[in-house]
Amino acid sequence: MTKMLDDYALLSPLRYTNNWLKIGVVGFGILMGISSQAPLVPFSIAICMSLATLIFGRVPPKFYLKLLMGPAVFVVFSIIIIAFFFGSGPELFGFNVLDYHLGVNTGGLSMAFLVFSRTLGGMCCLFFLALTTPMVELFSVLEKTGLPDSFIELSMMMYRYIFVFLDVAWCIKHAQTVRLGYHDLRTSLHSMAMLCSTLFLRSWEQGEKTFVAMNARCYDGKMMILDEKRPVNFSEVALSLTYMVAIVGVWYVSNGMLEVSLW
Amino acid sequence: MVILETRGLKYSYPDGTHAVRGVDIKLRKGKRIAFVGKNGSGKSTLFLLLNGTLKPAEGRIFYDGKELAYDQASLREIRKNIGIVFQNSDDQVFAPTVYQDVAFGPVNLGYSKAEIEKKVNGTLEYFGLSGLKDKPPHHLSGGQKKRVAIAGIVAMDPQAIILDEPLASLDPVGADELLDVLHELNHMGTSLIISTHDVDLAYSWADYVFFMVDGEVIGEGTPDEAFQDDELLRQAHLKRPMTFDIYKEIERRGLAHGNRQPKTVPEIVDSLKPPELMWVEVPPETREGDILNLGVLHGEYALHCPYEAVNARVLHIHENNKAIVELTRHGIKAGGILIYDMDKFDPSDFEGYMEKEEIDIVGAMGKKSKLLAEDYSICVDIATGVIDRTILMALCGKRCMILTSGGMIPHSMQRINEYIERSGIALNVRVLNEN
Repeated sequence: MTKMLDDYALLSPLRYTNNWLKIGVVGFGILMGISSQAPLVPFSIAICMSLATLIFGRVPPKFYLKLLMGPAVFVVFSIIIIAFFFGSGPELFGFNVLDYHLGVNTGGLSMAFLVFSRTLGGMCCLFFLALTTPMVELFSVLEKTGLPDSFIELSMMMYRYIFVFLDVAWCIKHAQTVRLGYHDLRTSLHSMAMLCSTLFLRSWEQGEKTFVAMNARCYDGKMMILDEKRPVNFSEVALSLTYMVAIVGVWYVSNGMLEVSLW
Repeated sequence: MVILETRGLKYSYPDGTHAVRGVDIKLRKGKRIAFVGKNGSGKSTLFLLLNGTLKPAEGRIFYDGKELAYDQASLREIRKNIGIVFQNSDDQVFAPTVYQDVAFGPVNLGYSKAEIEKKVNGTLEYFGLSGLKDKPPHHLSGGQKKRVAIAGIVAMDPQAIILDEPLASLDPVGADELLDVLHELNHMGTSLIISTHDVDLAYSWADYVFFMVDGEVIGEGTPDEAFQDDELLRQAHLKRPMTFDIYKEIERRGLAHGNRQPKTVPEIVDSLKPPELMWVEVPPETREGDILNLGVLHGEYALHCPYEAVNARVLHIHENNKAIVELTRHGIKAGGILIYDMDKFDPSDFEGYMEKEEIDIVGAMGKKSKLLAEDYSICVDIATGVIDRTILMALCGKRCMILTSGGMIPHSMQRINEYIERSGIALNVRVLNEN
């Protein structure tokens, strides 16, 4: 089986760090990144969060790069389009395609840069959260936010059974593969359809079985307790505050300079 | 005292399968009860009826002498007191983490927060699961998931636990650990009811067995009686337990004492007749008819032999000072079994005992003791079937120590003392660090 994001988070050394602190740091990063007009702020956020993920979260760098490469493809396409079709100012270079002039000007290029840096900053922030905070920790955060209990309970059970059905799906897929179920397009489509329908039936059965099991344990509408204590220690707070102050500083300096230069 | 009783219980599924057709049984409190039958004989359906999950088409169920009414309050009471552990742990363990799953029962029973915490942490420690409490179930092995499932039931303090095929899909070591846990629970007073198609398990484990075929109970009794009846076994599509089979074959050849029902390897060994004649080297002046004192038989003469020869009568003198002698033997007590309470574990104290008591072999029983032994790198020689195997070792003159804790201590003492009583071989048994 492949290792999933959640597996990294479950084994992460930062798993037991206070959830609100992590969410706070990530939320702050995203807000500062978006509000900044200068690409320097999101870039420094991206660097800080990546370092935190790699050093404190002990995520293998190779895996982290692979993760970043996924969204990077989309980002590259969009910044090319932005660079060519947006912005104004003196043209840097250009060419004609069938009497239609395409060019990149300074405004477009800086906008593309800004979009790129913001996306990168946001991505690094979210990956930090995803790689250090597993779903099981987030449930207590969801509860604190006042979402209805039944919503949280349902999502808890969905989370649990995703893995059960993933196992079932893998087993079925192997069973089909060994009997040449995927040897060409036609059979692949057929096998995939069978897999899906079997999985649907299995999940239906599983629902009934789980209901019986819950009743057998005196289910009374109360699901589970979540209130896990995750104390914050001084060094974590100090580090987070230093990071926030530094980013705010960079924000003021770079955006201030921008205003000066625009002026 | 009867904890559960059924009268004329019948149930059929909507598709028309008659899963249970007229079952009358009485289950006694504090017993280990096994329902034995091939797959599809209605054991699982019967179990769902017993804790009120399914409602019988006909017949009645009595819990503690009261008839089960199917209203909310009485269903809740019976489900609190009769816990059920399903065959597939994934059906039962539905919470995202181990801690939350074990807490599910206590939460729904309305315990206070502090009580829940105490109960759940205690249960987790008892099952050796404390280190796994924040893990999601999909990061656990089959044996660990089974332990979580049972812990979730035990946390509700039931009077009886029903286990549907508890050893299915467990590896031998996992199965053995689970049996240790079950023995201990039973020793603390919990009634256990299991279903199985493993005759060896039912024969050696249970106090009382029911044979089921096609939704009916066709026979019941203590394992000693029930497994004697070859016709009953044939009807139930079962075979004789392995130990019983081996014993019967040895007995038929005149090598074992008759009329016994050995359930464990020590009991088979005990039923064997010792050899009567033996080749020995004798001094040159010996003549036929002399009595020789051979002392204690040891070394190559008694590698795995629990006997000493006191006197030997020479029957025949052979060349090269060899002779055939007839032995008068009696059992010896050379080895001993010492039990060490791991709840009071102290490394230096432990080392002292190891030296003073000249321990040859260490066995560990129960997950907690095994984990502790691992932490202190104590070399454990026996980790499965601990009681039986230490008895065997002690019979061969070895001094053994069993590391265990809690209710397992009286349980092991009882098992070993039972053996001593039955066999008449006085092994030295005691708890080391008792005060």
